Amino acid sequence: MPDGSFAHPQQRQFNPYSDNGGTILAIAGADFTVIAGDTRQSEGYSIQTRYAPKVFRLTDRAVLAVNGFAADGNMFVKKVKQRLEWYRHAHAKDMPLRAIARLIQTMLYAQRFFPYYVYNILGGIEEDGTGAVYSFDPVGSYEREACRAAGAAQSLVQPFLDNQIYFKNQKAAPGTTHPAHLPLSDVLSIVIDSFTSATERHIEVGDGLEIYVVVAQGRSPQGLDAFRGAQELSTQPNGDRMFIIRRELKKD
Amino acid sequence: MNSFLTRYSSTTPEADIRKAKELYGEDEDFSEVMWGSTGGFGNLASGVPMFKLPSVQDPSSFLRMHTDDHADPSCRIKIKHGTTTLAFRFQGGVIVAVDSRATAGSYVASGTVKKVIEINPYLLGTMAGGAADCQYWETYLGIQCRLHELRNRERISVAAASKYLSNLVYSYKGMGLSMGTMICGWDKTGPAIFYVDSDGTRLKGDLFSVGSGSTFAYGVLDQGYRWDLTDEEAQELGRRSIYAAGHRDAFSGNTVNLYHVKQDGWKFIGNYDVSELHYNGPGDVPGATGGGYGYDIRVAGRTSTNAPEGEAGEGQA
Amino acid sequence: MSIMEYNGGSVIAMVGKECVAIASDLRLGNQALGISSNFQKIFQMTDRIFLGLPGLATDVTTLKETFRFRVNMYTIKEERELEPETFAHMVSSALYERRFGPYFIEPVMCGLQKTHDGSYKPFIAATDLIGCLNFAKDFVVAGTASSKLFGVAEGLWEPDLEPEDLFETCAQTLLNAVDRDAYSGWGAEVYVLTKDKVIKRTLKGRMD
Repeated sequence: MPDGSFAHPQQRQFNPYSDNGGTILAIAGADFTVIAGDTRQSEGYSIQTRYAPKVFRLTDRAVLAVNGFAADGNMFVKKVKQRLEWYRHAHAKDMPLRAIARLIQTMLYAQRFFPYYVYNILGGIEEDGTGAVYSFDPVGSYEREACRAAGAAQSLVQPFLDNQIYFKNQKAAPGTTHPAHLPLSDVLSIVIDSFTSATERHIEVGDGLEIYVVVAQGRSPQGLDAFRGAQELSTQPNGDRMFIIRRELKKD
Repeated sequence: MNSFLTRYSSTTPEADIRKAKELYGEDEDFSEVMWGSTGGFGNLASGVPMFKLPSVQDPSSFLRMHTDDHADPSCRIKIKHGTTTLAFRFQGGVIVAVDSRATAGSYVASGTVKKVIEINPYLLGTMAGGAADCQYWETYLGIQCRLHELRNRERISVAAASKYLSNLVYSYKGMGLSMGTMICGWDKTGPAIFYVDSDGTRLKGDLFSVGSGSTFAYGVLDQGYRWDLTDEEAQELGRRSIYAAGHRDAFSGNTVNLYHVKQDGWKFIGNYDVSELHYNGPGDVPGATGGGYGYDIRVAGRTSTNAPEGEAGEGQA
Repeated sequence: MSIMEYNGGSVIAMVGKECVAIASDLRLGNQALGISSNFQKIFQMTDRIFLGLPGLATDVTTLKETFRFRVNMYTIKEERELEPETFAHMVSSALYERRFGPYFIEPVMCGLQKTHDGSYKPFIAATDLIGCLNFAKDFVVAGTASSKLFGVAEGLWEPDLEPEDLFETCAQTLLNAVDRDAYSGWGAEVYVLTKDKVIKRTLKGRMD
């Protein structure tokens, strides 16, 4: 109306959430885990930045990938890292992976009535030296799995992984069985293929790819030398070893 | 001023939570020196956890606006739904059987969900509705059951455990929790099942099925149920019922998880692929009649629409 | 709820070396409830054209008859065989006729197009529910599992696959995609079309 009042009732809503796209992925091997995520951050059809990491190192043997609302994700990672540091001060050791998983559950559930809009995937090495992946929903339900994709292109990537990692719908040659765990080089190839496919068909995926590889103590990172530019992040000479591989993805 | 007011008001959701905390938590706040050792215990270190609330007039409608995918399929936070769970009491104890599918919209988010929560060696809880709500509160129930044991030198009864959970979720009523669970176990009174949901319903009974596929499961269950079922027959009935739901209901399936509760606690019987059950049956397990559960498998070669094995498999047009 | 999800179902078509393949699931549902595991969505229109009709089941039945009629009328009037590309435009215009009250179908078609030198060229196409044509060179997908099909196909497909390899690629893509879709599945079928034969295979898919 001319006097600045409204002819109809107006409704306002508090909307503190946004979707920043992108996809994350983690695959556990027998004695290693690969955790990857693209680096594009978008809102609607706009790209906010071509390099915003979604995968973070927590301890020498744990990596956390976060996807969804970037502000919530970054704050959540910050708080998890803080809790892990408190634990280090109190117990003079790093928190084991299964305990980090439970910690993340309780931290997410504490926000049950004002959730972090974040899908988390935790990857790393368990105390028994096996590779492990834990996936979470935004309010903290979690499950240990061998492989998991989350985010914008999860529905594109996950069925491909079912086929290539779990050999779903495939019959082993007579007298043979499907391997329970794939070697590192195969897993890395599948991860890169998954992201190039997702980049091709999903507008929110692309720009760059960051792949973290955690290899259990005493195991050789076989097949990693074939991948150019693998950078070692390990802090101790003979603990678990951590590497990062960076790749370019299409930017259109 | 506003925060001061809400702190002492008795009608806000904060007050509801504070009441819940007073009812179930032993201590209000804990000393600052505790911070070191809370690392790893999460917010469980101080009795009932404290929940963060959005600074809006009505937090529960805020939550509903952003999470309820029935009202608005485009909402961002998708809480996983769709399930079939069942439990029944019989002469030999309690059978608990569940599927393992989690869906978000039409997407099958997971086919390997553990919908039976092992509260302690004598108690099982099932998961339907919000996965996180069930997982979190049933884990929490496990902690309280252990404390009960330590305080009373005696295991908690199924009735008491289920009532603890029921009262707990009732104190959050209207806040948006979503759970439909069966608390199953064996205590001094024998085998027992209690159905507890987030509305505050708590029912004692012999036979329950919960979830989107429950009607299909009930169909098979009611047909085959008797009190004097043998252990093997009962396990087969549980398995067959979940298969039926997995087959017909789009939001149930993948695998069946089967548990049997007896006097000496629960035992995990097995994990069965629904598709494998359809084509080949559960294999060489006690109680199984042999062969696939699938209708078209059982009538293969015996009806005009079902050609005998081999003829339908491959052909050229 | 989307109208595509009322009955469920998905179709994919792929190009190979001098061959094409088209595959669909066999489910007919009433939302979450599975009704039939023998509901065909792929129809042979001519010796060299196949049409897949994922979407609302009532429109599947209507449109398959509509197109049978129109293809027959074309063949009789023109006294020559209908080419796949012509058929694609026929599908497109038939759907656009109902621009403001559409059939809830997203057709996928494939065929072998006759070239000037007498050989055959693989052809695939898809349209949206009002007939906007998409002539892809690799694969086309439609139905409730479309995003899943895109993901797997993008990972598995490669150019110039021989008929048997194309069959395997197409079958694996469909099977793995529908297993992640609540509204598709309950069995599947694949057609591979080469210049001298049509191979039809019914697949044993997950039944949940």
